[in-house]
Amino acid sequence: MNKSIYFSIALVSLILGLIVAFQFRTTSSIESGVPSGREQELTMEKRQLQKDITQLREEVDDLTAKLEEAGKGSSQATDAFTSELLKIRLYAGLTKVEGPGVEVTLDNLAENARPGGNPNLYFVKDEDLLKIINDLRGAGAEAIAVNNQRILATSEVRLAGNHINVNLTKLTAPYKVTAIGNATTLKSSLEIKGGLVENLSERITVKVEERDNIVIPAFTGELRFDYARSTQRG
Amino acid sequence: MWLGLWLAVFGLGVGIMVGLNIPLVLPQAYAKYISVAALAAMDSVFGGIRAAMEDHFDNDIFVTGFFSNALLAAGLAFIGERLGIDLYLAAVVAFGVRLFQNLAIMRRHLLKK
Repeated sequence: MNKSIYFSIALVSLILGLIVAFQFRTTSSIESGVPSGREQELTMEKRQLQKDITQLREEVDDLTAKLEEAGKGSSQATDAFTSELLKIRLYAGLTKVEGPGVEVTLDNLAENARPGGNPNLYFVKDEDLLKIINDLRGAGAEAIAVNNQRILATSEVRLAGNHINVNLTKLTAPYKVTAIGNATTLKSSLEIKGGLVENLSERITVKVEERDNIVIPAFTGELRFDYARSTQRG
Repeated sequence: MWLGLWLAVFGLGVGIMVGLNIPLVLPQAYAKYISVAALAAMDSVFGGIRAAMEDHFDNDIFVTGFFSNALLAAGLAFIGERLGIDLYLAAVVAFGVRLFQNLAIMRRHLLKK
């Protein structure tokens, strides 16, 4: 046996020892670690999940944009509703308004000017007020008040003893009817020849004045609709 | 003969020590190939010991057999994996059978003495 044999034996056993040790360590690390098949599986799963995350992020962005758009739309709708509401309140007489118009003053005829007869004849009656209001409406008045009581579609004008009830409020002479509208038209429609003022002037005092700015208060009472229901849906 | 045996044991111990302490870990994907290669190498060593006992030990055959067996076993495992057949089982069976054969022959030699 020469030296090369010993050398080769030593080399081979060394390599064998190395391989065995390596294998031993690898196997123990496999046991303590994750199997390679499982690792691949998890890696694939991770990749899939990352893809999902990206997709979901995109979806989130998309939906956020949509939400913002919808929010914008709803705020626009709110604005529209608010302006519509204001308009309707204005039409209904629930807001204070001002503008040019006329002021009609009705008063009982002074005692010294009465030609005689029943004194009740020379008092301002509810009919007189109603006629004035009616005439003003016909002439295009946009807002009417009697002694600062706003006349609405539901307002009553009723004689009750010596005074007149408007909106369940007692009013006494002199009655000041204010109306906003085209002042000239309103005035001329009342003072037309053979018109209302001429008629009424035989019994009571009527005075019509144009005003540049009339303030008419809002209706302050309660509006009740216990029986009437809207037939319109939506 | 006994010197050779002691050298083999010594080399094996050094190899194991070095292998255990090297801060190098082979990828787990290679574990299968290395295990088969280790089996082949073991078979070669047993074959060498048996040859030495029968007194026809040839150094060249021993060394080339060691490496070719290890490489063939690893290659079989590799090809088997690519083909979808567990070809390394062939190496395991062949080398396992030879391992036991060699052990049996060595046992007879030792007992005959």
